[in-house]
Amino acid sequence: MMNRRDFLQRSAALAGSLAMPALFSRDRNSVKMQETDLTILYTNDTHARIEPFPENARRFAGLGGIARRASLIDKVRQTQKNVLLLDAGDIFHGTPWFDVYGGSVDLDLMTRMGYDAAAIGNHEFDRGPDGFAEAAQKAGFPFLAANYDVRNTPMNPFVERFIVREFSGFRVGIFGLGIGFSGLIDSANSGDVRAYDPIRNAETAVESLKEYYRCDIIICLSHLGFSYIQTRNDDLRLTERIQGIDIIIGGHTHTFMEEPLIFPRENGSSTLITHMGHSGVRVGRIDVSFGSENSGSPFSLSSRYYTIGDT
Amino acid sequence: MPKSHAFFFSAVLMLFVSLQGCAFFKASHIEETEIHYPAPDPEIERLVEDYRAGIEQSLGEQIAVVEDTLTFSKPEGSLGNMAADALRYRAALELRTFVHLGIADESHYMLDFLPGSLTREAVYEFMPYLNHLVVLELRGDQITELMQQVAALGGAPLSGARFTIDSQNRARGILVNSTVVEPNKTYLIATTNRVANTGEPFPVLLNADRRIDLDISIRSLYLDFFRGRGRLTDATDGRIRS
Repeated sequence: MMNRRDFLQRSAALAGSLAMPALFSRDRNSVKMQETDLTILYTNDTHARIEPFPENARRFAGLGGIARRASLIDKVRQTQKNVLLLDAGDIFHGTPWFDVYGGSVDLDLMTRMGYDAAAIGNHEFDRGPDGFAEAAQKAGFPFLAANYDVRNTPMNPFVERFIVREFSGFRVGIFGLGIGFSGLIDSANSGDVRAYDPIRNAETAVESLKEYYRCDIIICLSHLGFSYIQTRNDDLRLTERIQGIDIIIGGHTHTFMEEPLIFPRENGSSTLITHMGHSGVRVGRIDVSFGSENSGSPFSLSSRYYTIGDT
Repeated sequence: MPKSHAFFFSAVLMLFVSLQGCAFFKASHIEETEIHYPAPDPEIERLVEDYRAGIEQSLGEQIAVVEDTLTFSKPEGSLGNMAADALRYRAALELRTFVHLGIADESHYMLDFLPGSLTREAVYEFMPYLNHLVVLELRGDQITELMQQVAALGGAPLSGARFTIDSQNRARGILVNSTVVEPNKTYLIATTNRVANTGEPFPVLLNADRRIDLDISIRSLYLDFFRGRGRLTDATDGRIRS
């Protein structure tokens, strides 16, 4: 097994030698008018930030706000025929809105905005499985967790291991991964939900989505966190261990990534990891175009983000 | 993010920055329409306003009146001083004993206070975490180390101590409760369970000889403290100077 340093060094070496499976853009605060095959918009760790940060906030004053996010998403939808809207978890907790509404407002408004799926963050357990289920009545989209067993709990009707979205000419598989409970979620709040090894369950999810559902693109909504020194699983380790995931949209560590990390593999595929900080300050965007590159990869990716309320 | 994580993350980012110079990445050249300040979606905005009525009904109660702008400045700030004082005073009240020090991590507080009415909603926003009060027992030599850790940060919310930060970011002239620190004396220090659990940003707290967890939520503690004060004014007193 390669250690992390070897893995990163290998990624760097491959990056210099391989063809380009991914097209990368740093543009911000713009809406691309050219239509692509698929546009993925995403958030993570929105943490009940319904309104923009107040003027006396110690960070991000004036930024964010779900109504402005909705407006941006609507504008993108006007120019793109195929849009996926995803979230990597921790929708709950962080402002007085959660204290009063327990997450139901977030899920109601996210449903109206057309979110397709969300991962389960550790804060989704803040009111226990019953509290989650109460709020999730407002969610018109599934929560995804391939490594959580929610059977015989109130969460069961709202949680799937993965979903498949069919578009004209291609199919997208999306699965979720939740973080281990130890040190993060009190046993009283996790109830009878069981968390299992995310790596092993990611492997089986990818295999199902690729081999059985014949998905052309596989997206992981991960709430594992970007990177840790300790032994806790994270997005980097997931990328090291598992092939076949094209895009990891991550959360938990509140990491503001200016650009995604892209790990190319010897077979011509690659895995892109991206995080968008927290509190809905940013909305990430990945555009997917099929057949536009002679790289051995069936599609190319273009990545950017929008800062909500930025000048 | 813990510092050790931040270090690794920085290393990864450095590697990533080095990748940008190679042919793997290329910028797209696509016609774009710039959008700044997207206007709020009117339907979502209307719903938010409707829901906001519930927030104000539940949390609109006035807790105190803020008379001055109160911030977490360095080396000390009014709000930082209050945050640490509140921990220390409440711990003493609960334990019915003298608590020597209070200390907090300023990154856990989300708002500064502007002049005007301070509502329950604002206090919830100020302290969104459901942490609880913890009292730790440290020796005098550990207290000195703690003050050096505060000085290295350029200051932090602190109650019960005074010192000066010199040009080398070292604490000089440390006084705890107006007396010099006795290396072998036992001191009680009030903080939050989050700080006590992680030792961030004061790692010496992980070496505490004894820990007492009190069933007092930090948020309710601040509600009580601000309500008790009534009118919140500048609270800087030179406890940390530089």
